[in-house]
Amino acid sequence: MHEIYSLSTYAISPDSVKCIQGYETIKAEYSAYLTDESKINSTPFDYLYFPRNEEELAAVIKDLHARKIPLTIAGARTGLVGGCVPQGGALVSLELFDAVEALYQNPFSGEWLLRVQTGVSLKTLDGMLRMKKFSNLEVSQDEFIQTELERFKNDQASYFYPPDPTEMSASLGGSVVTNASGARTYRYGPTRAWVRGIRVFLANGEYLDIPRGKYFASPAGRFTVYDTKGKSYSFTIPNYPLPRTKSTSGIFTAPQMDLIDLFIGSEGIFGIVTRVDVALMKREDKISIVQFVDSDEQAIDLTIALRDNPNLQMDFLEFYSTNALNLLRERQQREPSAVGMPMLPEDAKSAIFFEMSFDPRAEKMDFSELEKTIIQCGASIERSWIGYESRELDRFKVFRHLIPETVNEIIAERKKTYPGLHKLGTDLAVPDEHLRDMWKLYRDGCTKGNFEWLAFGHIGNNHLHINILPRDLKDQENGLDLYAAFAKKAVEFGGAVSAEHGVGKIKGKFFKLMYSDEQIDQMRQVKNALDPDGILNPGDIFGN
Amino acid sequence: MKIVVCVKQVPEVTNVQVNPVTGTLIREGVKSILNPFCEYALDHAVRLKKAYPDIEIIAITMGPPQARDVLLRSLELGADQAFLVCGREFAGADTWATALTLASAIRFAVPDFNLIFVGKQAIDGDTAQVGPEIAEILTLPQITYGVEAELVNNLRQIQVKCEIERGYEVIEAGLPALVTFSKGEVVRRVPTLKELIDSRSKPIHIVTPQNLAIPEGELGLKGSFTQVVKVFPPQEKKNGEVIQNVDAEVAARRIADFLEERKFI
Amino acid sequence: MLIINYEDCTGCKLCVNNCPFGALMYEDGRVQVSELCTLCGACANVCRKNAIHIERKQASTEELSRYKGVFVWVELEERDDRMEPRKVAYELLGKGRALADKLGQELIAIVIGDEKASGYEALGQFGADRVILCQHELLADYSTDGFANVMCALIAQKKPAVVLYGATPHGRDFAPRVAARLKLGLTADCTGLDIDADGQLVQTRPAFGGNIMASIITPYSRPQTSTVRPNVFAALKPDPDRKVVIENFPVTLKKAAIRTRVVERKYFDSDGQESIEDARVIVAGGRGCQKAANLELLREVAGKLGGVLAGTRAIVEQGWIPHTLQVGQSGTTVGPDLYIAVGISGAIQHIVGMSTSKTIIAINKDPDAPIFKTADLGIVGDGLEILPILSRMIESKK
Repeated sequence: MHEIYSLSTYAISPDSVKCIQGYETIKAEYSAYLTDESKINSTPFDYLYFPRNEEELAAVIKDLHARKIPLTIAGARTGLVGGCVPQGGALVSLELFDAVEALYQNPFSGEWLLRVQTGVSLKTLDGMLRMKKFSNLEVSQDEFIQTELERFKNDQASYFYPPDPTEMSASLGGSVVTNASGARTYRYGPTRAWVRGIRVFLANGEYLDIPRGKYFASPAGRFTVYDTKGKSYSFTIPNYPLPRTKSTSGIFTAPQMDLIDLFIGSEGIFGIVTRVDVALMKREDKISIVQFVDSDEQAIDLTIALRDNPNLQMDFLEFYSTNALNLLRERQQREPSAVGMPMLPEDAKSAIFFEMSFDPRAEKMDFSELEKTIIQCGASIERSWIGYESRELDRFKVFRHLIPETVNEIIAERKKTYPGLHKLGTDLAVPDEHLRDMWKLYRDGCTKGNFEWLAFGHIGNNHLHINILPRDLKDQENGLDLYAAFAKKAVEFGGAVSAEHGVGKIKGKFFKLMYSDEQIDQMRQVKNALDPDGILNPGDIFGN
Repeated sequence: MKIVVCVKQVPEVTNVQVNPVTGTLIREGVKSILNPFCEYALDHAVRLKKAYPDIEIIAITMGPPQARDVLLRSLELGADQAFLVCGREFAGADTWATALTLASAIRFAVPDFNLIFVGKQAIDGDTAQVGPEIAEILTLPQITYGVEAELVNNLRQIQVKCEIERGYEVIEAGLPALVTFSKGEVVRRVPTLKELIDSRSKPIHIVTPQNLAIPEGELGLKGSFTQVVKVFPPQEKKNGEVIQNVDAEVAARRIADFLEERKFI
Repeated sequence: MLIINYEDCTGCKLCVNNCPFGALMYEDGRVQVSELCTLCGACANVCRKNAIHIERKQASTEELSRYKGVFVWVELEERDDRMEPRKVAYELLGKGRALADKLGQELIAIVIGDEKASGYEALGQFGADRVILCQHELLADYSTDGFANVMCALIAQKKPAVVLYGATPHGRDFAPRVAARLKLGLTADCTGLDIDADGQLVQTRPAFGGNIMASIITPYSRPQTSTVRPNVFAALKPDPDRKVVIENFPVTLKKAAIRTRVVERKYFDSDGQESIEDARVIVAGGRGCQKAANLELLREVAGKLGGVLAGTRAIVEQGWIPHTLQVGQSGTTVGPDLYIAVGISGAIQHIVGMSTSKTIIAINKDPDAPIFKTADLGIVGDGLEILPILSRMIESKK
């Protein structure tokens, strides 16, 4: 049904909420809150709140709303597009929302679900699931919780939460409102696919409890919200086709869509998500394989061959370009122990990195299908690396993260000479059939522009990060122009301008490439209905 | 030339937690791995094999059936064949009974060995005793704490660079000999897909108590000289003061004052 | 033998859940024991109905009583042109004295070396009743064969009840050879030694990387032998009036008996830094220091406090410091008056190597880091920011 009632928490005074006042104080003692990983500057803001629970949050929202002070929400502040960087007003940090509220099994689907507050980091969540230890649940007096916990612990299988963005210290809330993706999205889909319920606080301080599968847009595409004061407001969902790729570029929409999907990926402009019910998946034994190849183009051939083979199921399919491997090689020579892996083979030019299910103890081990596919692309299984023990898998993960880490270090060094410098990265994805075209564009563009560049990323989803390391500010400007050209082409190919980082405050320009003014207006209508005074996360997605 | 590498399957102890009430180990989520020092010993053997391709590397372990996993891993990492010494009678062995069993198994399985490489210690027991005890039973010269090994004098002797407290020593011994290894410059090897596939066709033989000429009373728990009479969690020290949420200046002042109070300055 | 009285057993399964080795299962309506049982006694301790008993093999008391005396192997180290007792030897004599007193037997220091051996006359002041001197030119350098042969001959003749060795690289090298040759029990890295009511040596040591402590006895072989890490026990205050008997033990050794040869020896240039084992003040770094260059901050503070730099296994393996500065279960055990841990999480394998430090200060960004449980003063913060300021403050207070 398309009608939903918002609820109210117990009212308390906003004065009891911990608040740091005054920009000078915030700058001096809480400098970490001034920005996120995008490192853009905030406009001075005078209030920093740390609500401990929903009552405190509701009190703050109502108070700020009454005083017409806009508020920006922060989780772990690991975002890349300035989502939690305030433009004046107040910053509300949800870092204290770190309770695990329930663990239960859906009796019909058999799926295990975890209800957890949004301040918990993905890393903590993973740790809790690995060890099957859920701090506050253990001491709960609730019999149902204790029984379910007992059953979960006695279950032989191990469980995990599939979405795996690179930055695991991100908060669950942040990952939900960005609809975060990671390498495993290739097989398991983005965050959206794993969220079964949310609680979201609206601009008026009231909240909605939205389980997946209950509230759907009417045939005319409308939703109506009734608040506790008897007021109601309605809105119509936008009507544009979504790109046929991974996308975090704008509001999700679909005919008769589930209301929950409106908030997932909305970057906090419609409401503040305080808790999420996430579905868990059984852990399987996996094998990680790095296959070295002779060229970037051969890597693409291998990707397409692996993807098209119906007998092979990869969990993720990642790419390292020749330039990326060279960067790693240099680092290995300088600090061999930082890399923690054997020296990259001399003749390894590019690499494809993938993971599949694997039983190390199986009586019969049959890699013939994989071997065939690799050989047919002209590569050799003698130039590969494999690992399957969990500490080997972790080692491979660390190795993968070295590329962005090394790039960041180089940029940090260059920033000393050119303070305005930053690395340039793309977050574009295109449909399968355009992978080769897009690669040609990247390669030709970066070569012609004489840039220092490298590429890596989720090639399985045709989502590559093209990093340009500008040598000076002119280089940076040229790079940005080139990226605009890339974005335009990606949209032409039916792709997305932001595949996983979101729009935030910095991708607005590209956003306009994807949507017409009319389509953007449709999104604004929804915003105007849910947040008429525009106090939630101003500047995100729409800009000012 | 034949190099026997003794390997052990151990719990990944960094993750092990102790139940604070009963003092016993919590086994959930603890993975079993190839003891890191055994892996280094194997790596040193593989390096020698790279220099002298005729070398055959034989991995051997004493353990329950699941210890097969570390033999598979050893084969992936470069061993040519493996032996699993397995049987209920071996269980509960202390270092002496283990050494006796392994030494006998080596005599049975690879009577013409030239070198025995072992890790300097296992990360669950940390005794570093089994290697030297095997050497004694087989009357071999031993070199411990090796980090680099080289064959010299027409493959008749081995020279090993060893870690000592103040630096290094290079010790030489004639073959056959036993060497225990630490990490040194080893970068943990990563097998290729081909090595993984090939490893599964390398032989793993089982050695049972019946294969060894040891009277039953000398095996396992019965053959052990030491006995564990109690296990308990380590004592947690004094709960000192912990300061949070202060900036660097305040923290440094607190430390400086503390040092002054206790007369370190 | 593990004996379960099924009449008293209520099937509560507490024993099954508390077995550290997974040797108990509840099957077919009763508790069953598998071959994984080590008779450690955890189940017997936890059984509320006293339904579990452990039967242990006993050797005749007559046989065991023929062995008397506590031996302490005194390792020598080079100091100027002489070979003198190492600090750990004095510590073992301190503990050895307590054990000898409880047994009512002699404490004997064993010195193995050549004519450069010196300083052993003073061992009496530190608790020894007798010094047995085993001198031979082939014992100038340590060798496994040389020292093992001598110790075995000595034990066979003198029949001590207990032999203690320092758990130094050399101690850990030849103690197991002696134990294997003479079929003795040997317990490594003991942190506790005591005599129980039956006159048995109870040896306590960490296991599973230090996550658990185990108490061990060697009931039916003599002597009972143990290795002990430096900085675990304390030496006695020297008593200048204590008399000691010096005895010479004739050593027969043939050159061919020693099958290893020292080809080369290289000590690290310690930059005048004393060894971490002897240091009174240590500033140690872990992975939290982020990179090798940051260790300069730690060196600076160490210098100002008259101490030395040390570190965890993690940073040794990263190559930031040599293995000679490693503190922990697979490194050196230290016992300074002051230990400052920077960017160290406090994994048990590290704690085991420094827990006897008198005063411990820890700085770490993670409030849940286990190091805070052992620290006298813990700061949750960034050591890299705090240390430079601390350095200035120490300077100004001086």
